[in-house]
Amino acid sequence: MDDIEPNDALLSVKNLVLHFTTSRGIVRAVDGVSFSVRHGETLALVGESGSGKSSTALAIIRLLPRNVAAYRGSIIFEKMELMNLDDEEFRKRVRVGGISMVFQGAMNSFNPVLRVGFQVAEPLIVNLGVPREEAYKKAEDALELVGLERSVAQRYPFELSGGMKQRALIAMALITNPKLLILDEPTSALDVMTQANVMNLLKKLKKELGLTYIFITHDLALASELADRVAVMYGGLMAELGPSDELYPKPRHPYTELLINSVPFLRQDKEPTFIRGSPPDPIEPPIGCRFHPRCPYVIKGKCDVSTPPMFKADGEHWAACWLLEEK
Amino acid sequence: MTTESLVRTEELRIYFPVRKFFGTVGEVKAVDGVNLSIGRKETVALVGESGCGKTTLGRALLGLVKPKSGKIFFDGTDLTILSERELKLMRRRMGVVFQDPYASLNPSFTVYRIVEEPLVVNKIGSKEERREMVLKALEEVKLNPAEFFASKYPHMLSGGQRQRVAIARAIITKPEFVVTDEPVSMLDASIRVEILLLFREIQKKHGVSFLYITHDLATAKYFSDRIAIMYAGRIVETGPTKAVLSEPLHPYTQALIDAIPDPDPSNRFVMRKIPPGQPPSLVNPPKGCRFHPRCPFFMQGKCDVLEPPMYRVGVERFSACFLHEEKVTIK
Ligand SMILES: Nc1ncnc2c1ncn2[C@@H]1O[C@H](COP(=O)(O)OP(=O)(O)OP(=O)(O)O)[C@@H](O)[C@H]1O
Ligand SMILES: Nc1ncnc2c1ncn2[C@@H]1O[C@H](COP(=O)(O)OP(=O)(O)OP(=O)(O)O)[C@@H](O)[C@H]1O
Ligand code: SF4
Ligand SMILES: [Mg+2]
Ligand SMILES: [Mg+2]
Repeated sequence: MDDIEPNDALLSVKNLVLHFTTSRGIVRAVDGVSFSVRHGETLALVGESGSGKSSTALAIIRLLPRNVAAYRGSIIFEKMELMNLDDEEFRKRVRVGGISMVFQGAMNSFNPVLRVGFQVAEPLIVNLGVPREEAYKKAEDALELVGLERSVAQRYPFELSGGMKQRALIAMALITNPKLLILDEPTSALDVMTQANVMNLLKKLKKELGLTYIFITHDLALASELADRVAVMYGGLMAELGPSDELYPKPRHPYTELLINSVPFLRQDKEPTFIRGSPPDPIEPPIGCRFHPRCPYVIKGKCDVSTPPMFKADGEHWAACWLLEEK
Repeated sequence: MTTESLVRTEELRIYFPVRKFFGTVGEVKAVDGVNLSIGRKETVALVGESGCGKTTLGRALLGLVKPKSGKIFFDGTDLTILSERELKLMRRRMGVVFQDPYASLNPSFTVYRIVEEPLVVNKIGSKEERREMVLKALEEVKLNPAEFFASKYPHMLSGGQRQRVAIARAIITKPEFVVTDEPVSMLDASIRVEILLLFREIQKKHGVSFLYITHDLATAKYFSDRIAIMYAGRIVETGPTKAVLSEPLHPYTQALIDAIPDPDPSNRFVMRKIPPGQPPSLVNPPKGCRFHPRCPFFMQGKCDVLEPPMYRVGVERFSACFLHEEKVTIK
């Protein structure tokens, strides 16, 4: 599976594991995930709710909750093994100018009594010790970069619309000049027009600043707005990974195929269908392929017995499905 | 328009007072002159951006908000002149399913009690009869085995299952009309389809009429017969859903469609077309056509002065835009 990894990778994740302790048992949120992201590309991380997308992102930027049961694997960023860094080194080398993240649902996490400018400037003040006045100026620059007026810095969060808040969050993530920006469902709370506006902004920033994104969403249509490659997660594992131009027209994992079939197309006439059964239990996932109880192509005695590795479908297109075994 | 309409509004207006300190400083014109009809066994999708008045209109159809003016007919009876008691009787014939199945189900009640409640409130059936009805409703929404799910609490269920409970509760009184307000927007794609197919099945079996409130044109396309596009308190276009979406007439409908991507890898190379600006304040909406400040076809001296009437632009196609002026006005 080594040749999944392009040599020019900015980030390369291997066998990443993140488990949580709960009263019911161990939640295997991320259970051995590998992928990489090239300089300047966008990798979309898609999958249904609970498949482990956010957990993967939190594992990469090491923002872990208290109930971690296991955290291991390899995360190489700019040729540096992040797992070997202590927290202080991690803060200096990754949080500043390395990897930034726009968190899922963060629109509601603004401090209501603090001016937007200071909140956008906070990563500079906290991580770099930049003086407040200087950081505030930088915040105004960042707000301008995301298409807001500089004066928005003086406003309070409640004076901003949803779309403006989302832009401010992107400004906050960009203020440290990251090389990699992780966007976790950055538009899911927004209206269609505002969503399209934010997507346009992300496209523009990608082009003008040469940004590299990991774009997390459960929406395949939205993913196609940015993705050069798509990684499909299912039950804490990678189901499929491939270039958008191949994965959308010719998905190789049955889950991806059925997921695409569940999307109602606006510009084609094709009745959407649903995937029978329910998502896997993260504590006791099905043995073998985690999708096998729902898969129409299941091979008895194989899929329900052993876990399929990632098989090469062609070129850079991979899928963890026994149907690809001969290749 | 369907002659056999079950629900129909006439020039419906719903205004909310805006209070500041001690006085009333204005009104939010949430619904401002809406004519909408829903036929028997028909699903009408009501689509528009956040805050355009969809929920308010949906609640009005259920007799839950008092209109400022206009009429709401349910099976020929004007709801706006009924007493609270008469309204309550009418409401038995209606049901509602909300967006957030977490917020709308009482967390300390079992599924059984949640689904039974409308029967108890309306004093329908004996205890044994009610039990039979609850179990049947749970089976109908495919919570099988029904007895097993009946004893659960909402927090023990997945989002999709909770929404099924809400649907069971909505249909247990055998309503003729159900308002579903963003019923699937918090669910995953596959579960969305599953729930929307369930609505379709219920409709086929019991001949229910649905108002499907959503901001998702794509699901509306497959799960409604007719569509009404709402902008800033007014309906700007109505017609058979697929016809409207494949050939939109109103510039706002066109803009909404343009904003929505299909899964298509070539999307990443193009910018999406979006009209400038924001939906207007409903306290002081723009004069004339409410979309005129954002419309690419804006005609000065006309669109910003006169309110465009609903033009009939084809069989069952209506659009409130001066671009259709040469066509016949009917409303
Ligand atoms: N701190 C935690 N403790 C216990 N379980 C957790 C914790 N965080 C996440 N989980 C569980 O881990 C699994 C993966 O969650 P995660 O948030 O990564 O999914 P996701 O793909 O981002 O889903 P969504 O689309 O809903 O955001 C889920 O089963 C979730 O309930
Ligand atoms: N009870 C109320 N009192 C005052 N204003 C209200 C009330 N209910 C709704 N409004 C206002 O009326 C307008 C329409 O609201 P409504 O909830 O009907 O919109 P919507 O189209 O359902 O939006 P969304 O898509 O966000 O659910 C909004 O400006 C809202 O703030
Ligand atoms: S009436 Fe005029 S302003 Fe309104 S949508 Fe039509 S063209 Fe635009
Ligand atoms: Mg998440
Ligand atoms: Mg609403």
